[in-house]
Amino acid sequence: MNRLVSYDWLKHYADLEDVSPEEFAKRISLSGPAVEKIFPADALLHKVVVGHVLEVKRHPNADKLKLAIVNVGTQHTAPVQIVCGGSNLRKDQWVAVALVGAYVKWHGEGEPVKLEPVELRGEKSEGMICAANEIGLADAFPHEEREILDLEEALRIGVLADSEDEHSKKRVFEHVMKPGTLLADLLGLSGDVIMDVEVTSNRVDAMGMVGFGREAAAILERDFLWEEPVLDSPRSKSRDSQLSVTVHDKDLCPRYMAARINGVKNGSSPWWMKKRLMAAGMNSINLLVDITNYVLLEYAQPLHVFDVARLRKKSESGKQEAEEVEIHVRLAQPQETVKALDGKDYALDDKTLVIADAEGPVAVAGIMGGERSGTYEDTTDIVFEAATFDSVSVRRTARRLNLYSDSQLRFEKGLSTEAPPIALARAIELTLELAGGELAGPVTDVCTHVYKPLSFSIASKEVSARIGVEIPEKKQVEILTSLGFGVKASKGVIAAQVPWWRDHDIEEAQDLVEEIARVYGYANIPAELPVGDAAPRGTDAELVWEDHIRTIAKGAGLTEVYSYSFVSDELYGKAGYDSSACLHVQNPLSEEFAFMRTSLLPSLLQVVAENQERYREQSLFEVAKVYYRRGEAWTDLPDESLELGCAFLAGEGSFAKAKGFVEHLLYEFGIDNVIWERFAQVGFWHPGRTAQAFKDGKLLATVGEVSPHILANVKIEGRAAMIDCPLKEIFALSKGIKSFTAPSPYPESKRDLAVIVDTHVEYDDIARAIREADALVAAVEWFDTYAGKGIADGKKSVAMHLDFSSPDRTLTAEEVDGLLQRILLGLKEKFGAEMR
Amino acid sequence: MTEKLEEIRKRAEIAIREAKTLQDLDDVEICYLGRKGELTGMLRQLSSLPDEEKKSLGSKANDIKGELERMLLAVRRQLLENRLTEIGRTERVDVTEPGRRPPEGHLHLVTQAIREVTEIFSRIGFVRTRYPEVDWDWYAFESLNMPKDHPARDEWETFFMDAPESKKGKMVLTPHTSNAQVRELERGQFPVRMINIAKCYRRQIDVTHVPMFHQFEGLYVDTHVSITHLRGVLDYFAKEFFGPDRAIRLRPFHFRFTEPSFEIDVSCAVCKGTGEGPDRQKCRVCKRGWLELGGAGMVHPNVLKAGNVDPKKYSGFAFGWGVERTALMKSGTKLDDIRVLYKNDLRFLKQF
Repeated sequence: MNRLVSYDWLKHYADLEDVSPEEFAKRISLSGPAVEKIFPADALLHKVVVGHVLEVKRHPNADKLKLAIVNVGTQHTAPVQIVCGGSNLRKDQWVAVALVGAYVKWHGEGEPVKLEPVELRGEKSEGMICAANEIGLADAFPHEEREILDLEEALRIGVLADSEDEHSKKRVFEHVMKPGTLLADLLGLSGDVIMDVEVTSNRVDAMGMVGFGREAAAILERDFLWEEPVLDSPRSKSRDSQLSVTVHDKDLCPRYMAARINGVKNGSSPWWMKKRLMAAGMNSINLLVDITNYVLLEYAQPLHVFDVARLRKKSESGKQEAEEVEIHVRLAQPQETVKALDGKDYALDDKTLVIADAEGPVAVAGIMGGERSGTYEDTTDIVFEAATFDSVSVRRTARRLNLYSDSQLRFEKGLSTEAPPIALARAIELTLELAGGELAGPVTDVCTHVYKPLSFSIASKEVSARIGVEIPEKKQVEILTSLGFGVKASKGVIAAQVPWWRDHDIEEAQDLVEEIARVYGYANIPAELPVGDAAPRGTDAELVWEDHIRTIAKGAGLTEVYSYSFVSDELYGKAGYDSSACLHVQNPLSEEFAFMRTSLLPSLLQVVAENQERYREQSLFEVAKVYYRRGEAWTDLPDESLELGCAFLAGEGSFAKAKGFVEHLLYEFGIDNVIWERFAQVGFWHPGRTAQAFKDGKLLATVGEVSPHILANVKIEGRAAMIDCPLKEIFALSKGIKSFTAPSPYPESKRDLAVIVDTHVEYDDIARAIREADALVAAVEWFDTYAGKGIADGKKSVAMHLDFSSPDRTLTAEEVDGLLQRILLGLKEKFGAEMR
Repeated sequence: MTEKLEEIRKRAEIAIREAKTLQDLDDVEICYLGRKGELTGMLRQLSSLPDEEKKSLGSKANDIKGELERMLLAVRRQLLENRLTEIGRTERVDVTEPGRRPPEGHLHLVTQAIREVTEIFSRIGFVRTRYPEVDWDWYAFESLNMPKDHPARDEWETFFMDAPESKKGKMVLTPHTSNAQVRELERGQFPVRMINIAKCYRRQIDVTHVPMFHQFEGLYVDTHVSITHLRGVLDYFAKEFFGPDRAIRLRPFHFRFTEPSFEIDVSCAVCKGTGEGPDRQKCRVCKRGWLELGGAGMVHPNVLKAGNVDPKKYSGFAFGWGVERTALMKSGTKLDDIRVLYKNDLRFLKQF
């Protein structure tokens, strides 16, 4: 989670006087929260200056526009003319002028645009008199549409110093309100930088300025300057005259504190507060809401403020009790709704913790207040809520309602029950100071458990051993102390008491190692390659083979694809696969990702289809796991077996390409004597153009054209062939070391043979018959099959190269010819073959 | 006779010199030195002369024969040379026409990255392993010190399978490769030097997230393992994978299964870690000079215990990084939409 931090503001909490923002960012990032970006606080006020309106004239060509002659200081020798549409523009007004070259947001929207000298309806305009929203100050200076920023009004919210009396205000005004003064100087923004800081989820304390300041002080070895406010009012368990709190679900709300203040004056917040809220990226709403947000920014403890007048009280019990506010912390009832401060209605359920008054929910606990009980201009009596809510309940409620807030973001990380009294004290302090009023009675505190800080012990030697650097015990103690731990060291053992703001984070002694190591500085820990024994396990052969397959496939010209392990019912259906035996995802992202695939082929078909318009020739492969059920039900983890799938889009040659690749693959894996059998089952495959490779009765691969029906389903045009190859068998049969023999020293004799057979006679049978005819047959190599002119119908001619050789002698021509005759005779007997 | 010999020599010499082709030369050779050649005939006649004459004329005739043979050899060499030169001079193809290439295959970016990662870690003794991608909650979460109500275990973060619960909890799609940690520890063999690379699944899909991706998980467990070793190994990887001029840094981070936990950054190749681009503008590639690589940390004692390992005796470190992210960082390619990696558009795949 990220937050924005004004560096000037941070200096109130830690002594960072002579530390540059750059230096700060570098050091803090290596030991604590990471500073991801730094930008100047006055980024939008570049070339925006104070201007004094000397004269206002009619625009000759436009009714709604006027011509202002403005003194913008000494940089411009003469006053400039600016065309302005501001409804409140008047002579002698002090205004914010964006000079040429400044960046402004047109009508307060979009990205800032660089200002150029222009002519508007024929009149020259050298700059722009700005509305607050055009220079990013809308929240600080709320205004009507078309109203420009009046800098004298800015005085009313204390822009100029903290001087109280009218006399000194006037003096400061005259001193600073000079034409040409940079607006950023006037607003006290010059020189400050805003840091975008990433805080890890366990360090919600560092989301607060106090916590971040404490981190900074510890890491940079500076003084921590902040003093915790103290709640000096007495506390009551629940009831007093004006406020009653009942916590109905104590697990979800371990602590609920409330304070009632009567007679406040709500309004606009002082500039210093607005400035800090603005720096943190928060809107200014009104003083009371701003106070809760300000405390949230300081302590990361969310607060809420209710308007007493808008809370429903018990009405039936007479006038006396009508003054008493009644707050219930309970689970919502079905059908209840609440209109939150974002203006939307939310339907609640019985898992949602709410804050309710006598009538119904007025806030979703820890997430957002309700519109009905919010504070407005006329608010006089208020109740501050400072509570601890269960982090998981807040997180799940936010997800369920799809309602997120700064408050929820902090609560869901887990806050300490010790934070509410301090945050409440700070809110009361600020309210009494800025809004007046007085505490109506003791503060209510419903706390269901006794807080007992955790303590952990670790030997200082062990800390050094884990880090790998010898850090003196004294230094270790210093570091923990600077972070707020209560530390005692004796006999080499450090006992550390966890400060409340680290509740839910520091959970055991090992956590102390991290605290010491990071503040010591990770940059100070050297790099060292571990020595020692090798891992007593061999390389997994499957992984080596898998990689080998990829090398072979790439070498053979195939392109590798990676598709999701998930498939949709629709795709599986189109491909003719059955999804009922697949492992289904309980909470899929969409139907497209409904279950785990048991075959790579449907996804591959989809890839072929999606690419076919651009690529009429495709050779694709994927090696991935598929997920099979073991046994009858999914009581066991799936059998994750590795498969190879290939697809060839290559017209009439598709099948040959596919089969050739399988042959090549088997050859590369050293698997020989493979039996090819026709596979004529109707289904996914083309029944006349599919074969299966077997070795020792085990199926190695199915290769064939995809059935025309399936191709039509997935809209693939032309022929496509695929390979389905469960790799388990191939890996089991593959030989790491190929067997080999020395070549025969005697020359081999070659003969070509072409025979005419019936078309249904298959080549593999002919070749096998030839090979088995005599031991002298060394090789049979197919080179052509022909049917057509010159060959009778229903017949084909199969042509082959034959090699004959003997390991111990040179064969004579007569011998080989004799052999050939015998082979031919055999073929005639078996297949009715004729020599061509 | 002497004159006759001289006369033959002269004619032969001229004929040899005038030969234009190898064929001409062969003809000359046959004409003078062949079986029925003039000089051969002369030599034959010599046998009928008296000894004295035979001797002197014979030696002369043999000298002439030798000279002619040497001359023939020289001219033949020259003519041969000329012919070869002529071939080179006259033959020509359009060399700008494309050649005939072997088929061109392509391996997916992820495969290439996995290979390189595997290779680098294997050089420092890490053995690649493989563990389930569909696993029990125990291995994916519980044993990794993640409490029951941890956000990662919510149904909107992790995929749960439509399967009955077992003693080891629900069946999930592993959201990280860290399920290998306790599985590897359970083997009870030390030291553990594991690099586990697998598919991972998270319930998110948008331009920067895909529901399936790959991680590589390193685990090193031995006696006396410290942060310095983690730094050493990751430093080695960064320099091997990204280049010797790159450096890493450790920043504090938070993971449930490591303590201390770190975010590892690698220095930016573009701005050389300065964070500044040309003209002192901010570097467009990185965050203040560094790029986030991924998480790492010292194995949490609770994880060791879950794997039946005594945390008093053994310690270790672990890291788990995204393969896709690391690969993209190396190439410096910014993909506007990460989903292109699994879209299998051949225009994309054929670039690798």
